[in-house]
Order: sequence, then C-alpha cells, then structure tokens
Amino acid sequence: MGVVAENLTPTTEGAPWRSVVRRLRRNQLAVVGAGIVLLLVVTAIFAPWIAPYDPADQNFDALLEPPSRRHWFGTDDLGRDIFSRVVYGTRYALLIGVAVVMIEAAIGAFLGFVSGYFGGRVDAYISRLIDIVLAIPTLVLALAIAGALGGGIYNMILAIGISGWTEFARLMRGEVLSIRNSTYIEAARASGLSDWRIILRHVAPNTVAPFIVYTTLYIPAAILWAASLSFLGLGAQPPTPEWGALIADGRAYLSFAWWIAVMPGIAIMVTVMGFNFLGDGLRDALDPKMARQT
Amino acid sequence: MWRYVFRRFVLLIPTVLGVSFIVFSLMHVSGDPIRLMYGPNVAQEKVDERRAELGLDDPILVQYVRWVWRAAHGDLGHSIRTNDRVATMISQRVEATLSLTLLALFITLLISVPAGVISAVKPYSIFDNLSRIFALFWVSAPNFWLGLIFILLFGVHWQLLPISGRHGPLWTWEGFLSHILPALTLGLPPAALFTRLIRSTMLEVIHEDYIRTARAKGLAERAVVLKHAMRNALIPVVTLLGLRMPWLFGGAVVTETVFAWPGMGRLMVDSIMKRDYPVVQGAVLFLAMLVVLANLLVDVFYMWIDPRIKYD
Repeated sequence: MGVVAENLTPTTEGAPWRSVVRRLRRNQLAVVGAGIVLLLVVTAIFAPWIAPYDPADQNFDALLEPPSRRHWFGTDDLGRDIFSRVVYGTRYALLIGVAVVMIEAAIGAFLGFVSGYFGGRVDAYISRLIDIVLAIPTLVLALAIAGALGGGIYNMILAIGISGWTEFARLMRGEVLSIRNSTYIEAARASGLSDWRIILRHVAPNTVAPFIVYTTLYIPAAILWAASLSFLGLGAQPPTPEWGALIADGRAYLSFAWWIAVMPGIAIMVTVMGFNFLGDGLRDALDPKMARQT
Repeated sequence: MWRYVFRRFVLLIPTVLGVSFIVFSLMHVSGDPIRLMYGPNVAQEKVDERRAELGLDDPILVQYVRWVWRAAHGDLGHSIRTNDRVATMISQRVEATLSLTLLALFITLLISVPAGVISAVKPYSIFDNLSRIFALFWVSAPNFWLGLIFILLFGVHWQLLPISGRHGPLWTWEGFLSHILPALTLGLPPAALFTRLIRSTMLEVIHEDYIRTARAKGLAERAVVLKHAMRNALIPVVTLLGLRMPWLFGGAVVTETVFAWPGMGRLMVDSIMKRDYPVVQGAVLFLAMLVVLANLLVDVFYMWIDPRIKYD
C-alpha cells in the first residue's frame, strides 16, 4: 500500500516551499547568488541615488581619466563617469534578461508543453521545427533578426527571444514527457478526466519548479547574448549605457584606457555568476530526491 | 550504421530547406534593400531599375524558389554591394573560420579531458578547486570581453602575440601565432564547461561495479582510469559536443569581429549592417549546413565509441 501510494505521488508534490527555502539557505553559493541578484535589483531601482553622476553627463576636463577617488571606474572619451554608466546599465541588463526569458518561455514552454503532452504528429512537427531553428547558431539567428528589425534595445530583446526558445522547448518537452507517463496521470486519464483538466490540475503544477529553475538559469545567457549583439552594433545604440555597448565603446581605447572596456565586463561577469549560483541552488533545492532525504 | 548515416543525410534536406526559408523570410522583413543601399535622394526610377535587374520585384515565393534552385546548383547569387559571387566570397573565408573553430575545439578537448579526469581522480584537491574557479570565470565572462583582455595582456602589455588579422594558414609559424589568441578566446569557455562535465561523469563511472572488478583483477590504476573509466565517461561529452556545435560557430562570429579575423563571421556581420541580403542568406545557410554536418559526424562518432548504440 505504501509503495503504491509513493508511486502515485507526483514527483514534486510534498516539497513545501518552506523546506525548499531551508535547503536553499544551507547552500552557501546559492545564498551568495541571491545576495548578488538582490544587490543588482537594488542598484537598478536606486540607480539615480547610487550613481554619483548622470550617465550622459560629458566633462571635457576629465577625458579618459583612470580610476580615481573622483571617478571610481574612470571616465571615457567624452568625460562620462564609467561607474555611473555601469550602475545605470544594471537596469538594462535586468530588463533585457527578464524580457528575453519571458519571450523564450512563452514560445518555448508552450510549444514544449504541447509537444510533450500530445505526442504523435504534433510532437514530430514541433520537434522538426526545433531542429531547424537549432541548426542556425542562436547568435547568428539573433543577429539576422536584429539586422532585419533594425538596432535598438527592444528589437534586440525580440531578436534574442525569438532565437533562443528552442532549449526551453526541449527541456519543457522532456519534463512533460516524464510526467505524462507517470502512474497518477494514467489513473487520472482512466478516471475520465479530460486532457485539459489533466494538464491544468496535474501536469502544469508539476512543471512550475523546473520552470522557475530554467528561467533563473536562462537570464544570464540572455544578458550575455544581448551584450554580444550590442558589442557588434546591433543592440543598444549610443548613448544607452548597456554593458555590451560600453565594452564596444572602450575597444578603441584599450591600449591606454583599459578601464572603459574592462569595468563593464566585470559587471557582466558578476551578474552572470550571481544568477548561475542562484539557479543552481534552486535546482538542487527543488530536486525531489533531496526533498525526500530531508 | 551506413543505412542510418544515409537516412540522416537525406533528412538534412528538409532541415536545410527549413533554414533557407527562415533566412530568406528574415531578410525581406526589413524593407527595400535597394532604397537602403542608395539612400533617400536617388530617383525612384533608378531604384526600380536596379530592383528589376536583381529580380527583387518578383513575388516573394518566386524569389525564394529561384534562390533555392540556384543554391542547390552552387549559385548563391551576387552581392548587392560589390556584385561579387556570394559563393566565391564564402569560399574565400570559410578556411579562416574552419581553422579557427577546429583549433578552438582542439584547445577545448586538450584542456578539458585531462583536467576533468584529474579532478575526478583527485576530487576536492587543490587542482580540483582551482579548476572549479577557472570554470566559473570562463563561463561567466562574455567571450568578446575575454578576447579584449587577451589583446590587452598578450598584445599590448607583453607584446607576445599578434592581436589582429590572420597572418597565414595554421600550418605556418606566423599563421599559427595569429591563431592562438582568437582560438583561446573561442575554446576556453567551452573547456570550462566540459571540464566540469567530464569530472562529473568520471566520478559516476569510477564507482561502477566494473571498475571495482578491474581493480580487483590487479590492473594498474592508470589502466583502470584511462582504459575503462574514461571511455565510458566521454560518451555524454560527445553528446554535449554535438549540442555545442552551433555555439562554437556562433561564438566565432563575435571572436572574428574582435580580432578582425577574415572569416565568415565577419562577412556576415558586415553584410547584415549593410543589408547585403544575398551574402547574409548564403553565409547563414552555409553555417547552418556546417552545424548539421558536424552533428551528423558527432552522431556517427557516438555510434563508433559506444557499441551498444544501434540507431534504427
């Protein structure tokens, strides 16, 4: 009886959020990651109070100054304070990361879900579409779409979102496939529930946890893609202080004003690390095997 | 096995057609390429005349079918800007991209396989901890920024290596030196990822019963690790290699821009900026075909190293 009951239990049921948070707090790297993400959010919200200068303010008496007490990250070729531009750039990084992931999730999760649950021809057609899109390197496709739409942050967000949904679709398809074949879903079907009720009551709730993990883990990838597009000139346009665009600005002055390109790169690195730590921690905390152990 | 390879080859056709349709459609979203090329001040008659010359006033479907038919015969059209044959432009640059990506792949495997094996054999040692830090760094930093750091250190400060351009084929000394920094930029981030994967799979394999049996038989530890454990641990690595192929070619686009490398990536970026549609279409299609072929090769290699795999 106990064995049957255990087999009928959905994989993530019985992992209350309190125990998830407890497991997350025990993971030091996840705590560091959460701290970094929190710091980024606070920086983005309070940028006007944190940045000592306006990011667009030009000062022709302070061109290409190295890092100092007056300008912590130095200044660029127009005398703009790099620290202030990096601080304001946090807003763009978070906006881009979240917006891109929302688009990828909307397209990918929907298609992956449908493909995984209904199977058959639907699965075959969607899988073929995924293969076709995957054959084009994501950055190349994003470049081509951004080029077709024109530069700018919003076109870039759309370009990356449309290019990058395939991994989301594959992962969601895999999750749904493993849930679909569970005994409790079979029992639900045998009891006469319609497909949509099964999806809404049993399948979808059990994909929430992996969905949260994927979105957290995909945000840093979105930020990196966006930085690449801006660096190539097809993303954020001057004078927007997006981090990739800042690195592109600093390229011409690398040999004698390295701080212009290096500081935004460090900001990207810390951001990506923070989200990766948090995402890995969430994945471990939401792992049902670890839930049963605690 | 050859039946599977042939079937996969045939299945390439709908995939490549699908890619060609996506690329072709994209390029026609952004507006009139002739007007964009000539600017707003040129007379409409001249624009219409040039559009007719290039067949751009035909219906989209007609243009697409005509393009696919010609592409199947090796004719990818002509550049709107320079009137050069697109196939020629690609063939002049493909060697540069291939030599860069192959060297990057070699660097990835050269670093990740021994580092992953050693980390697994000596877990939580100083080496293992250092490799974790290394992996974290390379995975988190944008690769174009890493390229700039390399230029700053090895080119500007220490002046050890050339920082831009390709100074010859890989097998010449000057050519090899010019390949090093871009190949490191492209190859180190995946090396970090693969090191952790190999470590993880080796740790799983090392605790399997057949490894215990091999040790109990008196085999030297070196033989146990290299002959038995590593071969099985590398199987998922080969899978990941296939999945990372698109990333490798995509990463080459940015790396080529950083190092002014005369490859297909730079050609593509320049053509996108200048709305040179035929070149973009041809280059993206060619890159996609490279990715698909690389995946096929990885699948075949996968079958070879794991005799349990039998594809229907």
